[in-house]
Amino acid sequence: MSTKQKTTKASGSSTGLYKADSVKDVAESLGITNLPEAVASALASDVEYRVHQVIEEASRFMRHARRNTLTTSDIDRALRVLNIEPLYGHSAYTTAVFRRALPYPQLASAGPVYFVEDEEIDFERVLREEKLVLPPSVRWTAHWLAVEGVQPLIPENPPAVPRDDPSLTAPGTSASDKRASQQAALVKQVLSRELQLYYARLTTSILPSGSGTVDPTKRTAALASLRHDAGLQPLLPYLVRWVGEGTVNVLHNGTQDDASGRTLEVLLDVIAALLENTTLFIEPYLHQILPPVLSVLLHSSLPPMHSTHLRTSAASALARILTQYSATYPSLAPRIMKTLLLALLAPDRGPGTRLGALRGLIGVGKEAVRKGILDAGGAKALGAEPGVAGAVFEALAVLHPPSEHPVPLDLEDLDDAQIAERLREILGDFFADRLVSDANWARGVLEES
Amino acid sequence: MSAATPTASTPDASTPAPPSTEASQGTLAADRLVLEYLRARGHKAAEQTLTETISSFEDKGKSPITISGEELVKRLTVFAEKPAQPGENTLKTTLGVQKELASAVNSSNLQNLIASIGPVGAEEILSLDPNDKQEGFRELESWVEGSLDIYRPEFRPIIFPIFCHFYLDLVQFGFKDAAQEFFETFSPSLEPLHSTTIHRLSTLRLPSHIQSDETAQRFRNEKYTIQMSRSGFALLLGWLTEGVGGEAPGLGDGFFGEKGRRGRAAVMRVVNNHLRFDVATTTASKSFTSWEDNTGLLSSLIPQSNGTSTPFTNPQAFNDAVGELKLGPAPISDELRAETGKSLREQSMVDRDLAGQYDNHLVRPTAIAGIISPTIADLLPHPPSFKAVDVRREVEKVRDARKRIRLDPSAHSSADGNTPQGAAARQRSLPSICAYTLYDTHEGSPCCTFSQDTSLMAAGFEESYIRLWNLKGEPLNGLQSEFQLNNIRDTSSLNSLREKGGSPTRKLIGHSGPVYSLAFDPVSGSAAPPKYLLSGSADGTARLWSMDTMTNVVAYRGHQNPVWDVDWSPMSIYFTTASRDRTARLWSTDRTSTLRIYAGHSSDVDCVRFHPNSLYIATGSSDWTARLWDVQRGTSVRVFIGHQGIVSTLAFSPDGRYLATAGEDLAINLWDLGSGRRVKKMTGHTASVYSLAFSAESSMLVSGGADWAVRCWDVKGAGGPPEVSRTNGTVSGSGSHHSKDPGPDVIETTDLLATFPTKRTPIVTVHFTPRNLCLVAGPYLSTTPR
Repeated sequence: MSTKQKTTKASGSSTGLYKADSVKDVAESLGITNLPEAVASALASDVEYRVHQVIEEASRFMRHARRNTLTTSDIDRALRVLNIEPLYGHSAYTTAVFRRALPYPQLASAGPVYFVEDEEIDFERVLREEKLVLPPSVRWTAHWLAVEGVQPLIPENPPAVPRDDPSLTAPGTSASDKRASQQAALVKQVLSRELQLYYARLTTSILPSGSGTVDPTKRTAALASLRHDAGLQPLLPYLVRWVGEGTVNVLHNGTQDDASGRTLEVLLDVIAALLENTTLFIEPYLHQILPPVLSVLLHSSLPPMHSTHLRTSAASALARILTQYSATYPSLAPRIMKTLLLALLAPDRGPGTRLGALRGLIGVGKEAVRKGILDAGGAKALGAEPGVAGAVFEALAVLHPPSEHPVPLDLEDLDDAQIAERLREILGDFFADRLVSDANWARGVLEES
Repeated sequence: MSAATPTASTPDASTPAPPSTEASQGTLAADRLVLEYLRARGHKAAEQTLTETISSFEDKGKSPITISGEELVKRLTVFAEKPAQPGENTLKTTLGVQKELASAVNSSNLQNLIASIGPVGAEEILSLDPNDKQEGFRELESWVEGSLDIYRPEFRPIIFPIFCHFYLDLVQFGFKDAAQEFFETFSPSLEPLHSTTIHRLSTLRLPSHIQSDETAQRFRNEKYTIQMSRSGFALLLGWLTEGVGGEAPGLGDGFFGEKGRRGRAAVMRVVNNHLRFDVATTTASKSFTSWEDNTGLLSSLIPQSNGTSTPFTNPQAFNDAVGELKLGPAPISDELRAETGKSLREQSMVDRDLAGQYDNHLVRPTAIAGIISPTIADLLPHPPSFKAVDVRREVEKVRDARKRIRLDPSAHSSADGNTPQGAAARQRSLPSICAYTLYDTHEGSPCCTFSQDTSLMAAGFEESYIRLWNLKGEPLNGLQSEFQLNNIRDTSSLNSLREKGGSPTRKLIGHSGPVYSLAFDPVSGSAAPPKYLLSGSADGTARLWSMDTMTNVVAYRGHQNPVWDVDWSPMSIYFTTASRDRTARLWSTDRTSTLRIYAGHSSDVDCVRFHPNSLYIATGSSDWTARLWDVQRGTSVRVFIGHQGIVSTLAFSPDGRYLATAGEDLAINLWDLGSGRRVKKMTGHTASVYSLAFSAESSMLVSGGADWAVRCWDVKGAGGPPEVSRTNGTVSGSGSHHSKDPGPDVIETTDLLATFPTKRTPIVTVHFTPRNLCLVAGPYLSTTPR
């Protein structure tokens, strides 16, 4: 009994990984019952040392095999070079599964016992039934990891900047509340506390959530901050996303009331402010900024009170983007123009969309207007729809400024009659009639065509 | 009784395992037999020498360091009996002794006890109180931390060796639990810098382990070198003797008093016996890595040349003593140069390429000022005449040099990414990298290599085979195995013997262990596909494979242990292997026996590379050092100490001036071969570095490793840790610079130009084509477990 007490005491004090008790267990299984405590603990220490030795040797094989995980084959090779017979029967492909045995009721103090299940294999069945599937042989693919120092964004490469741009990671989530919570979580991870606070304050002072009242001075201050403050770069992805989502929500609800119109106005103001801020590097987010701008511009049913103002400011934002970035992205202007032309000319579009497209074209520039109104016959398509006419004249004014003292075309004159005829051909009756009253303008417009 | 065997302290000991206690007893018995035999035969002189040797061995065995635990207990029992109950044998266990000693030390008859001990030495007995060690070490730590800021970096390196010796002392004298406690108390603070050694020490638990363990023996038998300024050394001495200086926060009676004195005495003993101080007269401004170069158990790592009587104590002294190396480009014979020039002129006439007329100067290797170029006589023996393939290779070399993509990393740092000009400069400075990803490799792929002309790729696998791919998709056809020799008259008849309709991939089977290294022969350069492939494997052989017949031609046996690495000489007749048996060897392809053995590393030689001019080879070893060897003389000519882990891979710069080594300490070191000094240390990898490659102009280094990323480094840049962490407000440069979150302790040095992560591909090989396109390869690790 005294030995028993000693055992517990010794095992408590010696803190090696391999316990003296384990040595005693092994000794008992070999028929040695009276192993002295000192011997057992010394043996335990020694066993631990030898195990470390083998593992150190095995880790060399692991390292040279360019792996990070030690496998049973590494241990085998280590044993072989240490001139010890390897442990047969273990392979990296069939890992031993340890199962826990049922508790042993007679001896409560016994710890949990684990064992390796040794399945019985019926050779006949194996030979008859199981077909070995050859693993596919090794193959290779090549891709560009970097082209002149820039990593191309292709599926073979990992997605770029995963932590700076969370909007890229979850583009397809539909539920907006889920998105919001996700966004919040990401904000927490990446941004400093100050920036998080700033973001929260900024968004609530620009667009108070729920039914809070807007303090116009606060909003003005917030927009001014967006327009001029440096150091907002880390917030940019979130702000862009916030604007985009806000726009989509408002437009999606389709309410024609005053409040939603005002909201859209404010959101456009935010975009304008971001574009104006010279310290921001906005180019990577252009593809996210453009959709809300174009949506507002081309949406068919904007709140009537605000629609003109909304479309005008969206067009000016678009114009700003194009003037700033079309030099770096030569394909930007043609692409936007294509979208606008489609909106202008497609037969099933409403007047609102057409109007927006026209305003957009005005924003894009003279060339776009020429293409839209004259070449593609946009003016004809618009016809005399109310509200649109003003925009068309604006567009025509872009092509050629109207004269201050209009002199009407002399329809008796042959040349002038021809001009009037062509105007009718290109612009349709409604606009042609109006242009006839200003000879200079009409000529100028025609020269452009 | 365990008679201690003094293990061989010569650095060139190549026995893999130190003899165990039993073995030494065996040798003693054998000695006796030999003595008797000599006596019987009447060889007086021989007998006498042998007796002297044996007795000197036995003297050493009696030294207190190698006393066995049991013997000690016995000795102690004798003295401890006096105050305790005499005659009772309760002092068997170490715990008992410890308790007894502790009580004895505090008792008043301590002085009597010490006096009665007499000849054995009071110091030794006192050193056995484990509390002294704890106390002494704690005081040392607090003294170092309390010292002045300017001295603290100098003093810090002292802590580690003293920790090791205290721990080893405790284990050796059998205080297992005290050793454990000591270890647990103090190891955490040392863990970050010395984790490998500390882990190794933690596995030692019995006195016999210390006898057999290599690391422990090195600590015991070698002096640990520490750099210190004169004034710093004086301060240390002052503290050790008088306990002055520094502050002891919260220690009550400070450094004075009995306990403190005994603790210091214990430190002093280690300092006297096991440390060696390199006292410098001036306090040079120390960089953040300088301590790595000159601190540690250096004596066995530095090769000792025969000529000098005094052993070198620091690597710099050795490197300086060897003298200058011939690092210039290898010369080419006049005939070959003339022929190459002629061929180039003809080519340019055909192509109507006027620029080609002026390429002639490129044939001549350009010498760099301040570097000695070897002459033809210096080169390894090679055939006197050259072949057509040599001309084609040289011609292709010139064309490559002309068409090369210029990589100029120095433009990178100055270029501003936001302006168009800056962006263009950045593009010029960084390489294009093509990644070859292997799929369905079950155990990963230990090695992978590209031929110089990028027509072939070979990968070695753990399943003992090599797979060869033709990257152009052409079939790889060997020769038919049965044919009549006299039917072959010319190349066309030989070609008719080729196998028909092969696939562009082929399996080469022959090894009986994992294939760890592969190399294509460089003789045809980028002009033609290579003729041979070399492989090294865990079965201890290197094998030569013919790319004509697609069969194994020769197996080179010689290493008894796994061959970790192989590399061709640039002249392709010779090759070298590195093995677990601690040697690197030189072979020529036409002989199956070794030509030279490069022995001297005290652990595995993990990697080996030929210098571009073929006069030297560099080896990296598990003893944390890299060496440069003279190929012909077989002697070590440079030693590079500074890695804090195993040197896993290395690369020479093509201009022959620099060596880059990467280690398990996740650092890449750049060494200047001429002076043997470290140029800089580049950090940024977050896992082991597997492969390094220089661009053709030696201006850029590319590395790939287990962190699934390829990194580009500016060789010429100053490097060093970044001044301030990146500011929060701006996106860093262009889109190219997005690293994975590095661990908090990995500092990216400023010469890291770019990081290109892959999805899940550890980069096993990085390779620059002669025209500076970078190829990398690695096995994709599937996310699903087996």
